[in-house]
Amino acid sequence: MTHTLTLLDGILERLGSTEHWVEKGGVHWLPPGSWNVRELATVMNECKARFITITGYQLPGEEGFRLEYHWDLDGQLLGFSFVLSGNTIDSIFDLCEAVDWIEREIHEGFAIDFLGREYEPLLLRQGDTPGVNLRDAVAASKERK
Amino acid sequence: MSYQIPMGPFHPALEEPYKLDLICEGETVQDAKLHIGFNFRGIEHLAETRNYIQMITLMERVCGICSNIHTLTLCQALEGLTGLTPPPRAQYIRTIMAELERLHSHVLWAGIAAKLMGFKTMFMTCFELREKVMDVLQAISGNRVNYSMNRIGGVNRDIDDPNAILKMVEALELEMARTVIPIFTTSSTASSRCAGIGVLTTEKAASCGAVGPTARASGLPQDLRRSAPYAAYAEMEFDVPVQPAGDVRARLLVRALEIMESCRILRQALAKLPPGEWHAEDEKIAFITGTATSRGEAPRGEIMYSVSWKEGSRNPSRVHVRTPTFANMPAIRWMVMGARLADTPLIQASIDPCYSCTDR
Repeated sequence: MTHTLTLLDGILERLGSTEHWVEKGGVHWLPPGSWNVRELATVMNECKARFITITGYQLPGEEGFRLEYHWDLDGQLLGFSFVLSGNTIDSIFDLCEAVDWIEREIHEGFAIDFLGREYEPLLLRQGDTPGVNLRDAVAASKERK
Repeated sequence: MSYQIPMGPFHPALEEPYKLDLICEGETVQDAKLHIGFNFRGIEHLAETRNYIQMITLMERVCGICSNIHTLTLCQALEGLTGLTPPPRAQYIRTIMAELERLHSHVLWAGIAAKLMGFKTMFMTCFELREKVMDVLQAISGNRVNYSMNRIGGVNRDIDDPNAILKMVEALELEMARTVIPIFTTSSTASSRCAGIGVLTTEKAASCGAVGPTARASGLPQDLRRSAPYAAYAEMEFDVPVQPAGDVRARLLVRALEIMESCRILRQALAKLPPGEWHAEDEKIAFITGTATSRGEAPRGEIMYSVSWKEGSRNPSRVHVRTPTFANMPAIRWMVMGARLADTPLIQASIDPCYSCTDR
């Protein structure tokens, strides 16, 4: 546990964060700071953290999206949240190969563009174009009915 | 001259909706592209339209083989949002069910792998054994596939007679040790078809984010039961089998050894099953606003659930499932590179892919 705490402190130092980890809902969360997702991925690689997943959230109204990135470090689940006012964020695929499919899935499900990568072939849907927010599409089809 | 061979989405060697476009030079695979999503069901989105009871039932159907770990992990996340803590007996029953499910899954995989190796008698032996594991699961839960065992704050059914279950487990362990393990670990048929093929190096397994037996067979000693224990795993003694070779044989050996470790955990859990209630009082289940995340070690590797809820709401506002096959499947591309075309069905089967989980 002490080893993990040292590692967690090391992450704060590398990110230049003045914030503190908050343990909530089974995850060690680091409140957003001045660092971006690529800087975060670089630090996670340096710490030999294991990427787990990204969870996409569509915020109410025109508030945009929130993406939660999760890594495992020594059995501890780390969480980092990014709020997107638009629908773009930098891809970390070139830094972390394991994000490939989840970035593609979020792109296809939420129409979020991960900048700096290509998506083809389609991962979840066949024979259609990407860039459609499936939630909005489902809601619109229900309204039409 | 290179040429492309499409394997799937419905192929005699795969039998499930998944496509591998193999780029070959002669009989050697140079590269591969993977396609999933042929039966994508949108279960995460569907879960947002269900109440918590319906949602547990729905998520149990993400997978037909590891259905229990889905509800276990989901219920653990929901317990984080309700403040309910399962009593010790429930934690032990959850552990027992999870290990029986692992046994069932590994033996099923062994049977399918044997079939792909052309080892049909072994296929029949494994499936006969799998039936016996399912008999135990049925004796406990009343069901053979979707066990409906987990609920928020505990389990739905008690184990009335642990000694009877223990006897069934011991008989299973004896048969595994006598037939399945020796044949898979020593037979020349298994060795010649599996050794040195479909290699996933430690570095590649780590960079692809491989999990479970696939990662452990590439030398990565990761297992959530050890690194982040849940249910009653902190009280169990067991080893995490790791093999460094990264080939199909290593994946086979890891699962064979895990079968024995599962039996070891089952014996301990059944012998030490604590007395008391098997679920928390649940007259009032009230959710707080927030997101809770939980992880578990499914038979194929790490599974994670994130559930968001708004206080007073009937339904979750977001459910996200990261299934192990979703993490492991991209690694197939690196496993088949340089392999013989004829070995690709066995290589892709060696990660024990679950298309149902992937197309959740």
